Amino acid sequence: MKTLIATASAVALIAGAASAKELQIYNWGNYTNPKLIEKFEKETGIDVTITDYDSNSTALAKVQAGGHGFDIVVPSNSWVQIYIEEDLLLESRPDQMENFKYMDPVWVDVDWDPGRHYTVPWQWGTTGVVVNTKYYDGDIDTSAIFLDPPEELVGKINVVPEMGDVMSLAIMYYGGEPCTDDKEILKKVHTGLMAAKDKWLGMDYGNLEKFAKEDLWAGVNWNGSTFRMRLQNPNIAYGYPKEGYIVWMDSVAVLKDAKNVEEAKEFQNFIMKPENAALISDFARYANGIQGSEEFMPEDMKTAREIIVPAELKSAGKFSPTCSPEVQKLYTRIWTDLQK
Amino acid sequence: MIPEIVTAVALLIVFAWVKVATGHTSMIYLIAAHTAFCIPFAYLPIRARLETMDDSLEKAAADLYASRWQVFRRITLPLMMPGIIAGLMLAFVISMDDVVITEFVKSAGQDTLPTYMLGQLRRVVTPEVNAISTVVVAAGALLVSIFFWVSRNRR
Repeated sequence: MKTLIATASAVALIAGAASAKELQIYNWGNYTNPKLIEKFEKETGIDVTITDYDSNSTALAKVQAGGHGFDIVVPSNSWVQIYIEEDLLLESRPDQMENFKYMDPVWVDVDWDPGRHYTVPWQWGTTGVVVNTKYYDGDIDTSAIFLDPPEELVGKINVVPEMGDVMSLAIMYYGGEPCTDDKEILKKVHTGLMAAKDKWLGMDYGNLEKFAKEDLWAGVNWNGSTFRMRLQNPNIAYGYPKEGYIVWMDSVAVLKDAKNVEEAKEFQNFIMKPENAALISDFARYANGIQGSEEFMPEDMKTAREIIVPAELKSAGKFSPTCSPEVQKLYTRIWTDLQK
Repeated sequence: MIPEIVTAVALLIVFAWVKVATGHTSMIYLIAAHTAFCIPFAYLPIRARLETMDDSLEKAAADLYASRWQVFRRITLPLMMPGIIAGLMLAFVISMDDVVITEFVKSAGQDTLPTYMLGQLRRVVTPEVNAISTVVVAAGALLVSIFFWVSRNRR
């Protein structure tokens, strides 16, 4: 009997080892719904491991070096081009996959991946302003909230330390276009930001609790994050600056040196299915770019102002672009000064 | 001291090359990197201990026909023990504290507590992270106190 059990378990072990399919996902921290992964594992029998990163630059550095062991990475739109130019992505052709038909046509011919030969939308969102309406009931659809704050909000403002987004918001507020190298405008941006900084409390990430508990009353923030704040404190509202705000999208791409290519492609196809895309949004509270996924989303997301951009403000949204290295250098100088 | 990021990037490049060449991506790289930067910290208390050690006990043991190994095993090692334990604790704290090198050396599916917390930073810092931070600070303080207590008492 004993030998029988031993043989059986040995056979099971060998069989298990042979069929063990795995997938290594490299994604932003606290961004992946565990339920989505569970469902994927159950349906496909693939064993998924998720590793977190904190910024696009960390992820790119590790992928560039090679030998990382990851199959899938989720870069932001302005970074996808860098990955493609550096020849780091596999042309996995999501446009020929079974579930591609669900992708919203507005997200197919995007600048960073025309026709979707490499990437599948993960989530998209906006960078705008957050205000606690209990303390300020004026117009919140303006970058003046943090650049020229009303008296009531002074000293209670937090700006996320995201150089690209904050610089773009400020440039558009002072009448320029993102990535401008117009010295006149940049001068205004510089003095404007420096003057505004005295009226801020800080520049930090991860402030959900502080906003919910009303230690902070206003600031620059992402829409999904603001949504999560509002669920804890109904006074919190999200504003789309009419002078211009930033739209971004994180996309799922397969790496060129991936070991589990088929599994990775299967994952890309899997998340284009509306019910699965809805699970992504259900967790981090951003929209996903898949048609029909609304049906499977929680009721409160269908009407949320954070997710549904008001029609009259739609045209003010601009994609976060990749600026040239020279412009980047100018911005970094202003940013360094601001962070002192 | 070289800035940590310099070591981190250098290790990233070297290890990436080894990982590609061998196809091997286990924890061994993290262990090697941590060992390398923790050795000086572990060595300090051990050296301090060795300097103040009385060698007459070793000589006496040798006089009584103890072999070299027996002298080391029965006399030297027990006398060095406080230094070794202090070094171990110090190395643990330093290893635990490291973010930069770990972040660059780790492979898929590997995380230490600090790099895991760094990953969460950009989105929402959960209360669990706050709680575990408190535990870590308390445990760290405790370890360092024990280190001081051990090294002072045995001197």
